Amino acid sequence: MGESAFEIAINCVKLVLVFLLMVQMVPVLVWLERRGSGFIQNRFGPNRVGPLGLMQLLADAVKFLTKEEFVPKAATKLLFYAAPVFALLPGTLAFSAIPMASPLKWGEHTFLIQGYEIGVGIVFILAISSLAAYTILMAGWGSGNKFSLMGALRASAQTISYELALGLSLVGVIMMYGTFNLTEMIHAQEGAMQFQAFGFTISSSLLPNWGIFYQPLAAVLFFAATFAESNRLPFDLAEGEAELVAGFHTEYGGFKMLLFFIGEYGHMMVASGLMATFFFGGYNIPWTTTEQVYQWALGIVGSPDWASALSSAVHFAMFFAKLAAFLWIFIWVRWTLPRFRYDQLMDLGWKTMLPWALANTIITAVVVFAVSQTW
Amino acid sequence: MPLGGVIFIAVFVTVFGCLCLLAGRLLGGKKHQDAVKLAPYECGIPSQEKKDTKVSVKFYLTAILFILFDIEIIFMYPWATSFKQMISDGTGTAALVAMMIFILIFIFGLFWEIRSKALEWD
Amino acid sequence: MTADIFLFWLLASVTLLSGVGVVLVSNPIYSALCLAMTMVGVSAIFATLGAYFIAGVQMIVYAGAVMVLFVMVLMLFDLKTEIATFSRGRISGAIKIAIVGLLAGLIAGTFAMTTTIAGKPETKEKAGHAAKSLGELLFTKYVFGFEALGVLLLIIAIGVVGLARSKGGTHAKH
Repeated sequence: MGESAFEIAINCVKLVLVFLLMVQMVPVLVWLERRGSGFIQNRFGPNRVGPLGLMQLLADAVKFLTKEEFVPKAATKLLFYAAPVFALLPGTLAFSAIPMASPLKWGEHTFLIQGYEIGVGIVFILAISSLAAYTILMAGWGSGNKFSLMGALRASAQTISYELALGLSLVGVIMMYGTFNLTEMIHAQEGAMQFQAFGFTISSSLLPNWGIFYQPLAAVLFFAATFAESNRLPFDLAEGEAELVAGFHTEYGGFKMLLFFIGEYGHMMVASGLMATFFFGGYNIPWTTTEQVYQWALGIVGSPDWASALSSAVHFAMFFAKLAAFLWIFIWVRWTLPRFRYDQLMDLGWKTMLPWALANTIITAVVVFAVSQTW
Repeated sequence: MPLGGVIFIAVFVTVFGCLCLLAGRLLGGKKHQDAVKLAPYECGIPSQEKKDTKVSVKFYLTAILFILFDIEIIFMYPWATSFKQMISDGTGTAALVAMMIFILIFIFGLFWEIRSKALEWD
Repeated sequence: MTADIFLFWLLASVTLLSGVGVVLVSNPIYSALCLAMTMVGVSAIFATLGAYFIAGVQMIVYAGAVMVLFVMVLMLFDLKTEIATFSRGRISGAIKIAIVGLLAGLIAGTFAMTTTIAGKPETKEKAGHAAKSLGELLFTKYVFGFEALGVLLLIIAIGVVGLARSKGGTHAKH
């Protein structure tokens, strides 16, 4: 493959950095969630430890770390311990595949600002996230508790049901871009709105060239399905407190619980990153192209290496802003919408979202076909 | 070579998780454990055995139907990537008709399931 | 190319080990999890061959759907009695040995009949193109098989519902 030791080392460092970024985001998100819920519900939230309660993160970490290690007697030890470790995997592997900024060209090297570039990006991410069901089942069965088992069963049935709507809503998106590759999708969304129809080129400087303007229904379906995939409210039937205690992680505490937390927030970050990538231009700044930003950076710093670095940094900030916006919506929804009933949840997935996703596929196919005809 | 990276980060994360478990074990407080604490979580009454948990057949039904529809959706993916290409190659009409027939079969299946109340939960 | 070869041996041994685990582990749940691991390994081997789309499909359909169903079903049975009747006893032992012998014969036969190993396809760097050409082939040359598959899946879906509600169970007809 002609890979030097230097490139391999850089790739490994990059992957570890992406993972650490993900792990570091978790306490921040927990803090945001608690402060945000306080804000939404007109109360304070954590505000005692440090300025704005920010040191609460540290206090929580210490608390998690010093909790008594506990395994119930009925548990299957191997699965009970393996489940929280595996909970980290799907989120990390999927998040590493999302491009976070324009490539950094330094001398003869080109560094992609993402864990790894996968040719069939969407398929890879769907494949990895479909493995998340195992974590839930392992934890639920391994705990040796009927609440955990029921919670795991409900959670996995819910996850797989919404995977259908999720997968199907992406068919229209793939059709629009004609590729599985996330980087190519982001390139297709550069600049102001411009598309080909009936042999004419139609452009509008009012809107950015984002996927959501071509696939609004897919965006709504996808976002709703990701809520269910990451077991967040209003889809957190797996842990209906009234009937199932805390679902599949009833018996977990301390650091094992924290690993599940990282897994759940990892799912949220993947979902937010994918929303940004598919429908909101990825790391692109609205109305501009990567090239324009590079030229602008070149005008400021002069040397092409530093210009590339600056444009990567700007794009990274933009991606992060989009990611944060979607993460906030996740938190906002949690404290706004009540939980569904289980039959409502299944009805929504199978009888509402799946038919709509099918309709979206058919409409997109017909429109793409009709628009490509020249008169 | 992305596969090497995937394997590397998978191993790294697994090791990280194991170290976290180890840290939790080493730093965790003193153990106070008795028979009641080690029993499965329950609200004060003796817990039911796991094997007594009766589970609705609908969970299996959902899982099997998921597999079937998942395979159908997977077949739409290569079509979706190459659809624009096929239009410019001139085989677009055939591809569109073929996929529409496939989707009609899919829709028929889905509505049959809904009509036959296979997807009802109560 | 050494890295490629190393990767292949690593993945092949992981796949084979988990495959052997499916047979040797006595707890059906571990068996099923081992089988899921085998599926993931097979998918990774597809990826080393440059068939990225097939690798993803293998993972989504087998590891992510079929094996999830298996694990789900196994977890809901009382396995203690089943393990005893399933993994001990002379008849089941004889059947196991017979199956292993059959498999060994098959593998030996495959090795004996294979003289050359086909070269690696040249599509390695063009992951997207492989999926695209797959799509084009599927909708031109193999379109009839594709539609037949749709009908087949429909029949299975109807059959599943029929079975689930045939006798007893929560879905029974009143």
